[in-house]
Amino acid sequence: MLKEQLTRFSTRKLSVRMPYSAQIRFFLLPYLFGTLILVIIPAVATALIAFTDYKAVGLPTFVGLANFRQLMGSALVRLSLRNSVIYLLLAVPLRLLGALTLALLLQHRRRFFGLYRAAVYIPTVIPEAAYALLWLWIFNPVYGPLNLFLGWLGLPAPAWLTEPTTARLAIVILSLFQIGEGFVVLLAGLQNIPRSFYESAKVDGANSWQSFWQITLPLLSPWLMLLTFRDLIMSLQNTFTPSFMITYGGPYYATTFAPLLIYELAFDYFELGLAAALLILTYVLLGLIVMGIINIVGLGGSADEA
Amino acid sequence: MKRKAIWALRHGAGVIITIIFLLPLYWIFTASLRQVGLPPPTSIEWWPQSPTLDNYPFIFDLLPMTRYIRNSLIVVATAVPITVFVASIAGFGMSQEEDLWRRRLLITSVILLMVPGASVWLFRFQILRWLGWIDTLWALIAPAFAAGNPLFVLLFFWSYRRIPAEIHEAARLDGASAWLIWWKMARPLVRPTTVTVIVLSFVMYWSDFVSPVLYVFRTELYTLPIGLQLLKQLNPTNWPLLMAAAAVITLPVLLLFIFLQRSFLSDLSIANLLDQN
Repeated sequence: MLKEQLTRFSTRKLSVRMPYSAQIRFFLLPYLFGTLILVIIPAVATALIAFTDYKAVGLPTFVGLANFRQLMGSALVRLSLRNSVIYLLLAVPLRLLGALTLALLLQHRRRFFGLYRAAVYIPTVIPEAAYALLWLWIFNPVYGPLNLFLGWLGLPAPAWLTEPTTARLAIVILSLFQIGEGFVVLLAGLQNIPRSFYESAKVDGANSWQSFWQITLPLLSPWLMLLTFRDLIMSLQNTFTPSFMITYGGPYYATTFAPLLIYELAFDYFELGLAAALLILTYVLLGLIVMGIINIVGLGGSADEA
Repeated sequence: MKRKAIWALRHGAGVIITIIFLLPLYWIFTASLRQVGLPPPTSIEWWPQSPTLDNYPFIFDLLPMTRYIRNSLIVVATAVPITVFVASIAGFGMSQEEDLWRRRLLITSVILLMVPGASVWLFRFQILRWLGWIDTLWALIAPAFAAGNPLFVLLFFWSYRRIPAEIHEAARLDGASAWLIWWKMARPLVRPTTVTVIVLSFVMYWSDFVSPVLYVFRTELYTLPIGLQLLKQLNPTNWPLLMAAAAVITLPVLLLFIFLQRSFLSDLSIANLLDQN
């Protein structure tokens, strides 16, 4: 009898007496612990070893800014940083403009528009290895579909991947088809703008061009800002697979972007300290671009020009 | 009359966009049907002459594709459920936290969204080595234990936030545990988000090219994306074969996307990305 009461008491205590707020902490535990081990600690450690000489074995030795000096002295590193910046300044605005245009054209809740939207997202789900191979074939200068198509139109056929300028352009072009994420975010942003705003603008005699500049763009600008920052970071990262699988950095290092060089330094030469320093240099550069953008448009993004 | 013309123009634009964005996919599949050994086309070829499916069995003869497919499936079958579970409970936990902590967790997750992959390459290798996971499939599954991508946690958070508080408060007063409330009441209400996260995380693990390049070296553990890279090294110019392999890796994600796209693209939880709370 007493024993039964005791066990009942103790199970109650275990299952019910723990306050709800404490139970909730357990829900967050796996995510926070996993992120700490797999993301935060590696990222912080990388930042620290940038100031050391570390070759994967033994202990890192502190060398101050020597890694950065060595990197900046290398023509290849400077070229890779320049390639990365050129790529970002071309690809990110075009990707955002593409996503915005498509979202504006396909936002309607009418028959077939759901299909058009799904089609825009499809290239984004193609696995990157398959996507890289596909474009390697599309850009084939002799019998790739792109040049055959240009020939059919009577246009000149560029050498694409075998010529530095067009090879850089090719990596930009193939990135323009995988814009599903920005497209979906901007569609959601457009849906959040109340219909009544447009209706009252119409009453005031605004045409659709004016209501785009006065209503759509200002209300969309926080989304556009967020996408710009995320796209700057992710676009640079996403050059890795194309430059690894399609061109391997060539021709004449024209598509050697920073991530490819970081990979080579770390996993081919085991120069982890140098690789980490290059990573930091890349993000300093990204930070400068972000600050430039904030200077030009302002953080709230009051983008109305009219 | 004028309205009709405008809608005709809009549909016209929609059709053209659809064709442009389906072209890459179309080229993968038609190029994979071309006979090996035919001279390359000299003018644009919208449909191959005498199409054949022979390229598909042939890539299985050239490379142990079945093993690569099996490895990819093991990774996806393990990583997707772990990801959905970790992200779902974290999102629920966040939605139940008090204001101050909720805000902190939210800011942390948004910052994590901006952390690029390359910044964790170097030291994740060391951590995986300490865990003994280098050169095992666990190295590819590992991100699942951190919910795969902070975006997944945020998507779940925004969906759970939309559930009115009264619904679980009644259950709490009846003495139900947080687990019971999550499993029986909250989880069934966010099914569209669960579908979205399943699709996005499936694509993420299935397509992952970088992790196996960095962390897996034993050939018997290669996954499909690495198989594709190997096939390219073996037959750098045999386009019908390469495209057949590309089709094999693309088909599962494509089917999943088509089956689930209705609830995927209609899910507006992304719309809340910029909500302050």
